[in-house]
Amino acid sequence: MINPRIDRNTRVIVQGISGRAGKLHSRLMKEYGTNIVGGISPKMEVKEINGIPLFPDCAAAVKATAASACVSLVGAMQLLGAMQEAVAAGIRYIVTPTEGMPVHDALKAQHLVREKGVIWIGASTPGMAIPGIVKLGFLPDDSLQPGALGLMSKSGTLSYEAGYRLAQAGVGTSVWIGVGGDPVKGTRYADLVPFYAADEQTRALLIIGEIGGREEEDFAAALNAHRFTKPVFALIAGRTAPEGVAMGHAGALIHGSHGTYAAKRAALEAAGAAVFGSLNEMVQGVCARLR
Amino acid sequence: MRRPLSFEPDMYLLEHDAKQLLARHGIAVPDGRLIERDETIYRPALPAGQWVVKGQIASGGRGKAGIIRKAYTLQDITDHVDAILGAIVNGHQVQSVRIEQQVIGYDEAYVGLLLDATAGSVRVIMSARGGVEVEALPPEDIRSASAAPDAAALAACVRRVAAQFAGSVGSALREAGEKLARVFLEREALLIEINPLFVRPDGQWLAGDAKFVTDDNALERQPEIRELLERRAAAYPEAALKLDHGFDFVVVDPQGELGLLTTGAGLSMMLIDELRAAGLKPYNFLDIRTGGLRGETTRLVSVLSWIAAGPCVRAVLVNIFAGITDLGEFSKLLVSALQQVPRLRVPVVARLVGNGLPAARDVLAQAGVTLYTDLDEAVAEVRKHLKTNAQD
Repeated sequence: MINPRIDRNTRVIVQGISGRAGKLHSRLMKEYGTNIVGGISPKMEVKEINGIPLFPDCAAAVKATAASACVSLVGAMQLLGAMQEAVAAGIRYIVTPTEGMPVHDALKAQHLVREKGVIWIGASTPGMAIPGIVKLGFLPDDSLQPGALGLMSKSGTLSYEAGYRLAQAGVGTSVWIGVGGDPVKGTRYADLVPFYAADEQTRALLIIGEIGGREEEDFAAALNAHRFTKPVFALIAGRTAPEGVAMGHAGALIHGSHGTYAAKRAALEAAGAAVFGSLNEMVQGVCARLR
Repeated sequence: MRRPLSFEPDMYLLEHDAKQLLARHGIAVPDGRLIERDETIYRPALPAGQWVVKGQIASGGRGKAGIIRKAYTLQDITDHVDAILGAIVNGHQVQSVRIEQQVIGYDEAYVGLLLDATAGSVRVIMSARGGVEVEALPPEDIRSASAAPDAAALAACVRRVAAQFAGSVGSALREAGEKLARVFLEREALLIEINPLFVRPDGQWLAGDAKFVTDDNALERQPEIRELLERRAAAYPEAALKLDHGFDFVVVDPQGELGLLTTGAGLSMMLIDELRAAGLKPYNFLDIRTGGLRGETTRLVSVLSWIAAGPCVRAVLVNIFAGITDLGEFSKLLVSALQQVPRLRVPVVARLVGNGLPAARDVLAQAGVTLYTDLDEAVAEVRKHLKTNAQD
């Protein structure tokens, strides 16, 4: 079972810490309570950033700090290399907010983490958080309130908005995982169903999805397979989007009718989930069941 | 709204471009020539023999739509080109035609390689019966297997699948499949499909049609594909936009009344759903990525001028949920960008949440932009403007 829970003792390093995003987010994560123990900066022009000691590579950082988790804030073309370096250094948990990772690189990264048993959240993810305790990535503090709702999302901004409105309505989150919007990724909704089923802090589960792909359908199948008994909610964007170009005939052969709003809604409802097409309906629906 | 969908293909190459690319990698294709405008066609410029005139659009279903036609005389060609060029098929305008040598007396097979995102592998699909849509074939006529995305595994997979076909078709599928596997990995394709693969009794083969879907995230290190896309920018408008600007803007309704200045693909899509459910007509989808503005108005000015080009646009809604972006700074950029696009003379309503809200309030108030923190209130304000204007 993939267990994405970490805590304030988890030692975290940041790759790409000297970049614009690296400087900003290493500070914000640290302020939130994340135990950032090191940053990777091959040039080593300074000794530390935001009070975080720098190391020339992951191996040196892991050796000096015993870090087990890593947030990669490097460019899309450097991401696969950065992940390979982190895994080789013994990192067991990688969060990659970087957008635009080439799909073939993502395939290679996926094979690597599966082979080594490493947890990979991303790419194109705003990150993960255990509200009130720790966050890895960009999730805005305004949206993070401790609570009992498990939350998974493909989209960053839509989940910020959803988390913010839920927090205003008094509903907080237990474990928030941005699975990310890329087609080939480290962790999919379905992969985390066993975790949320077992997690004692989680009383209900919300997924924020969008049309395209088949992750929502696979998630629904996983709910059935694991006999998931907690309430499940889903917010799906793209109900009124015009249909895109199908991925050639071979794509249709594999994906069939998957990917449309109707197909996702039907699969999720058949698995017992309450599906919403707007933010307000979702917040009302969740509050009615959870408060 | 094609681009924002994570599953949807990135760049679907025109058949002509796909064939040029494949030919460079040693895959035989029928001789062909591209016509991009109404021009006099001279015989010496044409490939030998009889011809097929094929309308070029980045979409399937061309045969059914009647933009693939056989030609036996120069007059046939002229007639077909006249009929096909400029036609609108599946929402795409035909901007070019490929005049190709007809291939006669060959068998038709099928070979496709597809990135299977769910399984994290490459799927190899083959059939001895090509020329029809592969999903229309009975399952017993299709053979397929999946492989890890590395050269040795994929080549072995191709040989394994091809070995299930006898004779000349089997050897052609193996040869073509091995070459396509190399191109698939080297050019970082998401899909390559050859249908039909023409096969002669002696085992010689030719790619009759070619579908090629590229990964736009890999363009930076795929100069060959980038060059194809840039050379014919009009045929690949979304690719051109992405290459030039690095963000996504799609007109979802040319008659739309409400321009959207929004960030985040998921939130923008959801906003469009909710506006439509409320009876409003959004003009565009936009994921402007505030993190990429870098203190400059360039991106905002581009977006505002594209919105201003919408003939029915009568209001603009700005919706930014800023996790990190400083809203005071963003508001200054927005006001400056609005001044640089005087053509956009419609009310602007902003809904902002995040850091720096008080500063944003001051800046926007001075520029006459109404600011809300509640999205429903902002939409109600927009609705008022759309109604008022309609009565003018």
